[in-house]
Amino acid sequence: MHKLFGSNFGLAVKLLFLSSFTALFTWMAYLAILKSEWAIAVVLIAIILSANYIYMSKKPVAGKFLLPGVVFLILFMIVPVIYTTYMSGFIYKAGNIITKQEAIHQILTNTGMQPDENNTTYDMVLGIVGTQYTAIFTDQTSHQVYLGQNGVAKPLTTGQYHLSADGIADSVPGFKPYSDAQLATADQQIADTKDSLGNNRYILAQDAQTAALFIQTLTYNAKTNSLLNPVDGTVYVDGGKGYFVNKVDSTQRILPGWRQPTWLSNYTSIFTNAKLRDPFIKVFLWTFAFAFITVIMMFGFGLILAIALDKKIRFRNFYRALLILPYAMPSFMSILIWAGMLNRDYGSVNTLLGHHIDWLGQVWLARAAVLIVNLWLGFPYFYLISTGAIQALPGDLEEAAAIDGASGPQIFWRIKLPLVLQILSPMLIASFAFNFNNFNLVYLLTRGGPTNVLGGETAGGTDLLITYAYKTAFATNDQNYGLASAISVVVFVIVGAISMWSLRRSKVLEDMR
Amino acid sequence: MSRHVAKRNPSSAWRHIFIIFMIVFALFPIYTVLLSSVNGSGALATASLWPKHIVFKNYTKLFNDASIPYLRWVINSIVLATTNAIISVLIGIFASYAFSRLKFKGRKASLRLLLLIQVFPNFLALAAIYVIMERIYHVYPHIGIGTTWGLLLVYLGGSMGANAWLLKGFLDSIPMELDEAAKIDGASPSQIFWLIFMPLTKPIIVVTMLLTFIGTFNEFVLASIFLQEVKARTVAVGLESFVGSNFGANWGAFAAGSVVAAVPLVTLFLSLQRYIVGGVAAGSVKG
Repeated sequence: MHKLFGSNFGLAVKLLFLSSFTALFTWMAYLAILKSEWAIAVVLIAIILSANYIYMSKKPVAGKFLLPGVVFLILFMIVPVIYTTYMSGFIYKAGNIITKQEAIHQILTNTGMQPDENNTTYDMVLGIVGTQYTAIFTDQTSHQVYLGQNGVAKPLTTGQYHLSADGIADSVPGFKPYSDAQLATADQQIADTKDSLGNNRYILAQDAQTAALFIQTLTYNAKTNSLLNPVDGTVYVDGGKGYFVNKVDSTQRILPGWRQPTWLSNYTSIFTNAKLRDPFIKVFLWTFAFAFITVIMMFGFGLILAIALDKKIRFRNFYRALLILPYAMPSFMSILIWAGMLNRDYGSVNTLLGHHIDWLGQVWLARAAVLIVNLWLGFPYFYLISTGAIQALPGDLEEAAAIDGASGPQIFWRIKLPLVLQILSPMLIASFAFNFNNFNLVYLLTRGGPTNVLGGETAGGTDLLITYAYKTAFATNDQNYGLASAISVVVFVIVGAISMWSLRRSKVLEDMR
Repeated sequence: MSRHVAKRNPSSAWRHIFIIFMIVFALFPIYTVLLSSVNGSGALATASLWPKHIVFKNYTKLFNDASIPYLRWVINSIVLATTNAIISVLIGIFASYAFSRLKFKGRKASLRLLLLIQVFPNFLALAAIYVIMERIYHVYPHIGIGTTWGLLLVYLGGSMGANAWLLKGFLDSIPMELDEAAKIDGASPSQIFWLIFMPLTKPIIVVTMLLTFIGTFNEFVLASIFLQEVKARTVAVGLESFVGSNFGANWGAFAAGSVVAAVPLVTLFLSLQRYIVGGVAAGSVKG
């Protein structure tokens, strides 16, 4: 056995792994550099270097075991958390996704480029003169010919060009037209073809054979950080909210906008903007109430079951197998099943009760339903851990207490319950943190609804902070990533604080080996 | 004496009543879904809580209807959950070996940090994950947003926090004398790990893999953001999109789909019950 793992074989395997890994990642870094994604390239190179260092050197043994996990942890857990915090400091939503630079580029090439009133179009022939990329344009109506080179379109007179049988100028002296194969790979060159006629007028290529006349209606002045419409003289200034706005009337925006740093305004708007504040506070309170009540309920029922099944009673194993069935079912499925059962028109709950109740359509009923469904999902887990805790109690506890004259209820309330609570408190707190973010339950059961009860359009009566953040980012037209990130950060802080506090209390840290 | 008390316990009636009540509560949804899956009309079990005639057309619809690529969803989920379970448990066992057996600078601090990190599900950073994976998509279309592999990468990001502590607890219970003896025989840390620890940790590896598998199978948030294309979806996202939009019409097929997917999982879970309960008591919360 030792021979098999002897130094030569082990080394060969290691080198094989490490070199193929390095090759793959180098190639990926190369791809990133091609697309100018510098951050990705730097990360990949850092991974390559640290992996080679750690696995080739004799020293950092622990690093050999930790590296894969740490890399994933940093890249897909810690970086997203930091990036969430970063995004929460921006106006970052639909219409304000790109950087300001990209926005200006788009404004100059799209928004601020309008076809002239005659919709002038040109036939276009592409090729090179010497090494110079050249376009020959023929106006389809007036038949005037232009030579496009270096971003400038120069009018040509008859005799300076050669006309084809169709009446299209297809050559000038020294011109070599592109072959079909060359045209097929010249997409970028074609897209960049923009030749000035002066007076803010440009000929822009539309495809490989045609071009059209556009008027530049917006120009950018970097010094004053403003846009100018040279046709009517309107000035648009950076309004500080991620858009260029009309200097006179700030409601007139130029699209697209960009993501604008706003420091804490996503956070303050939660508290100052009444449209956000009222729903946010209600969602916030419900999240706490839900997490608290649901843990108490699940624990209460689980504990009573554990006590009921603690003494030897008939069919105990059979009962136990049935009782943990909800825990064994895939939970997303159970939640969807419950959603169907609570359906007003077809649900089996209404069939059973003989009523026609809209369980998920009214706020308090929906909240009760969320709690009951979560009780169904969670009581088996608490039953199992409560059983474990009760069995861990010293066996002679009950007898000793009885000898001291304690009654049955007294033994339970004064002695057993506090001990069980002490044993289970880490699990109770973990469960609180888990349910604080119980996305699946709420989203799959009610989608956070009923809506239109909290004021505002996004939040619903059963929404938790996390489903509220999800809906803010992905389920509204606004796609407000900035605000969603701010809500996430609030959740981070709350959950983090609760866990820190509980860890201190439970002394896990001191006991750590 | 305590046996004597138990025998004549007058309160054993409430025990039975409560247990029966909880069993009915536990079984009612399962019964409903079984009933709906063999119900003739496509709608929910209307008007009756007893089966009138049993038909299997919901099951046949599930595997023949082109608009519900159910089998595809199941395969997607199984591939994703299995891959995630294997890789993340490997990552976890590596890390927990280092934390349990090796001495290095910052060991305690990292353990504390991990303990804190494990309370944050990574979908909390969902907007950032979306934006980051979108950028990755521009460079590597196969592992960015919209792909199963990209989703797997994000899942793996959460694996250390989820598993390292549970596994470390198990490794700590393996006596130190064992590796000291091996060290004296001249074994390197890698040899100790592969030849001594891996075989010894099989039971906890099985449990952690199962829990990770189930957790991935149930994951909805990230999967719903990542997998927009109908054919790429997991069972969770697929069934939600298919039944969530129209309970009346699609309930029967959904019920059949649930039964088909739940039976193997529940069987697996119950057969490994003993180990899972042990793992659960050690403090892991099933997602």
